[in-house]
Amino acid sequence: MNEQAFRNEVREFLKANFPEKWRFPAHRLSLKETHDWQLKLYEKGWAAPSWPKEYGGMGLPPYEQLVFQEEFDNYGVNSAPNMGITMLGHLLIRYGTEEQKAFYLPKILSCEIRWCQGYSEPGAGSDLAGLRTAAVLEGDHFVVNGQKIWTSYAHDADMIFLLVRTNKDVKKQEGISFLLADMKSPGITIKKIKNLTGNSEFCEVFFDNVKVPKENIVGKINQGWTMAKSLLGAERITIGAPKIARFPLKLVKQLAMDNGLFDDPVFKARYTELTLDVDDLDAAFIRFAEVLRRGDELGPEVSMLKIWITEAAQRVTDMLVEVGGEASVLDAPVSLSDGGSVHPANQSFSSRPASIYGGTNEIQRNILAKAVLQLPG
Amino acid sequence: MLDLQSRIDRLTEEQQMIRDSAASFFSDDGDLKGIRAQRGQQPGYRDERWQSMAELGWLGLMLPEEYDGMNLKFSEIIHLLEQSGRFLSPEPLVSTAVMGAGALLHGENDVCKSEYLPKLAAGEWKVAVAWQENIASMSLEAEAVTAKETDDGYVVSGKKLFIPSAGGADAFVISAKAGGRTILLLVNKEAEGVSVEFNERVDGGFFGTLSLNNVVVAKDRVIATAGVATLERVIEESRLAVSAELFGVMARALEITVDYIKQREQFGRPIGSFQALQHRAVDTFILVELSRSVLIQAAKTFDETEDTAARAKAASQVKARCSDAALQVTKSCIQMHGGIGYTDECNIGLYLKKAMVLAAWLGQATFHRTRYGELTNAA
Repeated sequence: MNEQAFRNEVREFLKANFPEKWRFPAHRLSLKETHDWQLKLYEKGWAAPSWPKEYGGMGLPPYEQLVFQEEFDNYGVNSAPNMGITMLGHLLIRYGTEEQKAFYLPKILSCEIRWCQGYSEPGAGSDLAGLRTAAVLEGDHFVVNGQKIWTSYAHDADMIFLLVRTNKDVKKQEGISFLLADMKSPGITIKKIKNLTGNSEFCEVFFDNVKVPKENIVGKINQGWTMAKSLLGAERITIGAPKIARFPLKLVKQLAMDNGLFDDPVFKARYTELTLDVDDLDAAFIRFAEVLRRGDELGPEVSMLKIWITEAAQRVTDMLVEVGGEASVLDAPVSLSDGGSVHPANQSFSSRPASIYGGTNEIQRNILAKAVLQLPG
Repeated sequence: MLDLQSRIDRLTEEQQMIRDSAASFFSDDGDLKGIRAQRGQQPGYRDERWQSMAELGWLGLMLPEEYDGMNLKFSEIIHLLEQSGRFLSPEPLVSTAVMGAGALLHGENDVCKSEYLPKLAAGEWKVAVAWQENIASMSLEAEAVTAKETDDGYVVSGKKLFIPSAGGADAFVISAKAGGRTILLLVNKEAEGVSVEFNERVDGGFFGTLSLNNVVVAKDRVIATAGVATLERVIEESRLAVSAELFGVMARALEITVDYIKQREQFGRPIGSFQALQHRAVDTFILVELSRSVLIQAAKTFDETEDTAARAKAASQVKARCSDAALQVTKSCIQMHGGIGYTDECNIGLYLKKAMVLAAWLGQATFHRTRYGELTNAA
């Protein structure tokens, strides 16, 4: 495929179909809010870039997926990831029964069923395998009891895919299964969690004797951990992409220009240092993407991108708060002379979880220490 | 630790060849005994080693074939210089084969090119570039050294600072103010009125100070009349080259340190099993790989364009990152070594000292960040 031609095609499609008012939003948009846009992607056949064509995906190799995502980022498309596409679909394709694939995959593509992900628990964060939400098979149903947390957009979801404990008497990784549950099932309650920005993307989901039909298990019983881990592959490069720091860096520049700080030499020195932190990561990102472009796989080393860029993004948003002065601590957006606006405190708040989700940066450092530096355990 | 380069970067055959032959050449002093013996000695390296490098063709790495050179790409040269950096090579590869050779090559004096470049490639003649006149100044304009025009050429006076490997040099390319502009001249070390003073550096090598007292330079020894433009090209290429050496220094320092913390035991366990040290080691690893990524990109830019602004920006990006990272990494490596890291006996200190010298040379990180900012905002 000609990369430039593909980029142009994506850009043209975005220009023609993505609403102007949603570009570069102050908050990430939910799937529910952007439902019409998701349908347009579906009609175009672009809902699932990473799925094989035979299941209605685009069948893009990893590097082209990156290119596709980059064009979306450049255009200012910022909506919540569709967990049905990015996670569940892959697992169904690999581990699901023919019936499950035939029933669920088309409904994921068409947004008929919106999904949320039930992995973390109050007692199982970095140590995810320690999860305790239990499922017991009673006749035709699993009966599920327990609690999930950090479930993004659970309040908008029709179904949840979740990891549950099905055996307490074996090594913790070997007693976990993967279930699909209807969010309208009796016994499920959802509680939104207000985050530091005052918004609620995360939820807690409580399970009180929830009945899940036994055919809703994906893969074999007690195989859930292996399945969930199999997803931590090539797509991990995307959470190390420079975009999460690039956008706030633009805001720093604009706000500093508006506040008359941009020509201050002390400001300039720090701003340039941060610019280089992001520009240099670009070079590393391109180097790692090149591995995918030639069809090879990335290993645990890809964690370094995530560590660097999430911490750089935090330095950038910290500077944004400083540049805004007193206006940064008002819980309101500041208008910018380029027509945009910025809420410095919220930018700072929302850069915090980046070094926590997807495996905290401390966990990433543990991985690099063992798998790349090969230090003893 | 894993060799990430072999794992993720696909090298060309040429890159692999130069990397492998350089690794085998420089690693024969793997314990650095040879380098220790040269500290504080003039010229700071053994001539037989320089001759071996000439035989391998490395002294003509930048030169076209007509001058007996290898005509390597920058994306190949960085692999050679990474290896010389890894083993703290004291030989003046960058100052002679990149800077000195570049000054003649990018100049306009074809007679001098034919006369000297093949000799340089053969290891028979060494040249150093003398352009700095003030501490911490990267100004390419000559001010303090002046060249008065006479019927036969110039009479040159003034002082040049921080000349690398001046001890082994047979000649200097100097920048001088002639009339209103800066020109480059070739001056023999033995010429009347030339004297060199040596200033020992922390790494055991030397910077030279060159005094010129009414030195007569013939007209046919003018290397470039557009001195600033020629010098600019040479200095930018040298910044890329020295960044490759800095990269080698930090990469090897990290490897040595990772090996050390795997073996050193305290509390009945290898200290490398402690999370506090693991995370510190990972942070240095990230700086090393970030530097390598920028180095690869910068070399590619130099191979693809001769545009001065693009090259200046790439040179500043890579020199800023490699200078800053090499210092951070080597200092962190000393911390991970503990008390032994503060002793002269332990090799890790040699890495810090080399990093300090190369980080300061041709502009430290702050200078290059500032310049990168100016170039970015001007674009």
